[in-house]
Amino acid sequence: MPKLKTLKDLTKFRESLAAQKEDVDCMVTISGGTCGNASGSLKVVEAMQSELASNGFAGRVHVRVTGCQGFCEQEPIVTIDPANIFYCRVSPDDVPEIVSETIRKNQVIERLLYTDPATGEKITKETDIPFYRAQDRVLLGLNRKIDPCNIEDYIAVGGYSALAKVLSGVTAEQVIQEIKSSGLRGRGGGGYPTGQKWQQCREAAGDEKYVICNADEGDPGAYMDRSVLEGNPHAILEGMLIGSYAVGANKGYIYVRNEYPLAVSNARKAIEQAKLFGFLGDDILGRHFFDIEIMRGAGAFVCGESTALMASLEGKVGEPRPKDVHTVQEGLWNKPTCLNNVETWANVPLIINKGAAWFASKGTKGSKGTKIFALTGRVKNTGLVEVAMGTSLRTIIHSIGGGPNDGVAIKAVQTGGPSGGCLPAEKFDLPVDFETLAEAGSMVGSGGMVVMDERTCMVDVAKYFIAFLQDESCGKCVPCRLGLGRMLEILTDITEGRGKPEQLDLLEDLGETMTHTCLCALGKTAANPVLSTLRYFRQEYESHIQDKYCSAGVCRELIQYSIDPNNCTGCGACLKACPNKAITGESEKPHRINQDLCSRCGICKDVCKFEAISIC
Amino acid sequence: MQEYVNITIDGAKISAIRGTSVLDTAMEYGICIPHLCHYPGLSDIGACRLCIVEHIVNGKAKVTASCTLNVAEGMVIRTDTDRIKRLRRNIAELLVAQAPNSRAIQDVAVRCGVKQVRYPFHNDNCVLCGRCVRVCAEMWQAKALGFVGRGKDRHVDFPFGRKPDFCKSCNTCIDICPMTITPCPGPMKTGEEYLCLACEGQLIMADSLPGACVWCDLGKGFQCARQVQAG
Repeated sequence: MPKLKTLKDLTKFRESLAAQKEDVDCMVTISGGTCGNASGSLKVVEAMQSELASNGFAGRVHVRVTGCQGFCEQEPIVTIDPANIFYCRVSPDDVPEIVSETIRKNQVIERLLYTDPATGEKITKETDIPFYRAQDRVLLGLNRKIDPCNIEDYIAVGGYSALAKVLSGVTAEQVIQEIKSSGLRGRGGGGYPTGQKWQQCREAAGDEKYVICNADEGDPGAYMDRSVLEGNPHAILEGMLIGSYAVGANKGYIYVRNEYPLAVSNARKAIEQAKLFGFLGDDILGRHFFDIEIMRGAGAFVCGESTALMASLEGKVGEPRPKDVHTVQEGLWNKPTCLNNVETWANVPLIINKGAAWFASKGTKGSKGTKIFALTGRVKNTGLVEVAMGTSLRTIIHSIGGGPNDGVAIKAVQTGGPSGGCLPAEKFDLPVDFETLAEAGSMVGSGGMVVMDERTCMVDVAKYFIAFLQDESCGKCVPCRLGLGRMLEILTDITEGRGKPEQLDLLEDLGETMTHTCLCALGKTAANPVLSTLRYFRQEYESHIQDKYCSAGVCRELIQYSIDPNNCTGCGACLKACPNKAITGESEKPHRINQDLCSRCGICKDVCKFEAISIC
Repeated sequence: MQEYVNITIDGAKISAIRGTSVLDTAMEYGICIPHLCHYPGLSDIGACRLCIVEHIVNGKAKVTASCTLNVAEGMVIRTDTDRIKRLRRNIAELLVAQAPNSRAIQDVAVRCGVKQVRYPFHNDNCVLCGRCVRVCAEMWQAKALGFVGRGKDRHVDFPFGRKPDFCKSCNTCIDICPMTITPCPGPMKTGEEYLCLACEGQLIMADSLPGACVWCDLGKGFQCARQVQAG
């Protein structure tokens, strides 16, 4: 492939791709992101390709392997266009039937269709699925149309046209102005206005500047950056190219965690292809030169913090430094550096192409555009959800997520990962935007949303996140290192029945101290899980302390398993399953649990078929 | 040529040398800001967070460490607001609860107004102020000591846990360590730690401490930058 040297070359090439597309009768899309791979989609792809070839469809039916499309729990997903038929949880054994029935005869296979858990109805078309219908999939929607290993797919959907537009006579100041008026704010958690950051970086003194894409996503339960980098790497390259032109940088880095091997390899392929096509390198459409390198993180959560990330990039220990001088002035190797999150970069080409007004038309007054959330936990539909900013939590959890699983009432949602907080169900009418969530004691953060129901103990949740943060803190500053240790000590006391009422005030005092005095954003937000649960679920803490009672039945030291003799048939299932030999009883007579031996693992309750075992 | 900038610390108008930190400037002018990891002549890392001050930006008070904050024209700093005193006391409480067996830490606790410790005592022998690591690297260019591990496992050690031959055995790391001198009544056994408070007599006014440095004896305990610089 010769390099595309001018805007004309690019347009011509895109037209030729469109002509090729018309030759294909049918398009089979199979998602092969990390979630798809894990559910065996690669085997489905293999089976599909060999089945199509042996049936003489080669050339007429095209198979496209895409990144994650968002509905991860239904993987492997196979979509057949132009009929827009959506099959989920497909196994390789289903493939011959799909080819002979759907592709050859255009017949729908009922059993592979998606069943709406709310109504029990079978849904044929992808666009009719409620999970997708309520979303505004500006960014994620592209994943379905693109094979991440094939730059032609990206160009066919209008890829690199934003770059071409920028390089054909738009000044850097105009680009920054466009980003500013779009109202785009950092998607990594801080929500800093992107245009402003770019301008500061452009105005910073120095000839050598850098742009960085932060793909070191580590929040438990959040994986939207992975899906975007895996499924649409060229959008990030294009965003970074535009950013580098705007701030005046010629070198960029993608810092991606090593635990995302597919994202690393797809991004590498994308960089190679972009170089072949002339979008990276010395002569980019005759106007710009820029190069991107991939750096892999070595597993530290704190390296997602900008200054720690830069230290790690420089080859030093990944520890944050004080941010009294901002990274846009002195960042990587003390040069002005513009660091943005994966999702932020991916939004840039869309804004340039469709205009700032289009982007600003979505969202609320202070938070514009759409945001991807990773919806997990106790809801019917889990996966990636892209909605306009300002959509209410209720819409996300009940309309898109399908509401509570197993009929147990939803109690809270944890937003923003370990730095965020838990919001109770009464607050579900709040619009999701940067300011509102911060006021409510949580944050948008990188976009994780973990839904919890009555079976979740909020003290235990706080303890989990504090333990996570204590493991992941760099340990440099006192309030974070010692403060988290003390918090964990107190929470452990409370969950094990040794809590004292005055410890709640101490938690709040300590939390406030950490919020104000810690060195970096990890420490400053580390107390949020405790502070937000104390704010909304104080009665749970109090019942742990005063009544030694855990209403969710989670805290082992505070619960007892007991067997109801009326329901117990003496089948012996629990007796065999108990790892501690704590259950005794004769066959066909009610069994008993010896509380001294019981470790409260709950296996007996899981194996009992007669609901005879309860927690009290 | 030294350039000067005008800043305000606790209402006092000060002409500060450009490029110096707020902590250095305040100490130079006799305004007392407690500190621990700061040591004159070494780089500042902002680890202990005792030297926090309020930096007023656009009418909003931002809490930040003064050792890593450089002076700038028109800067307004408050070092002794009620909030700062309370936050500082809480940090000193965390420190003394972790390492009560050090005169320096006990002195810091008194200086910051800690009256009671609300956590169970641990008896650690290092608070990771990093003075030893920095003095070894910056003053002696030896780099025989470094931080190892992350988070709660972080500790100071030789490379690979063995004393290297490039250690000059100069003992500066020991001289500069705030943990080497035990509290005046003697070493505390594990399980018998207490908040010393014996030095309170020197600073009866720990709560209403003057903003000005009184060359208190507590400063000797934690090698206060002012005492060190005065020789």
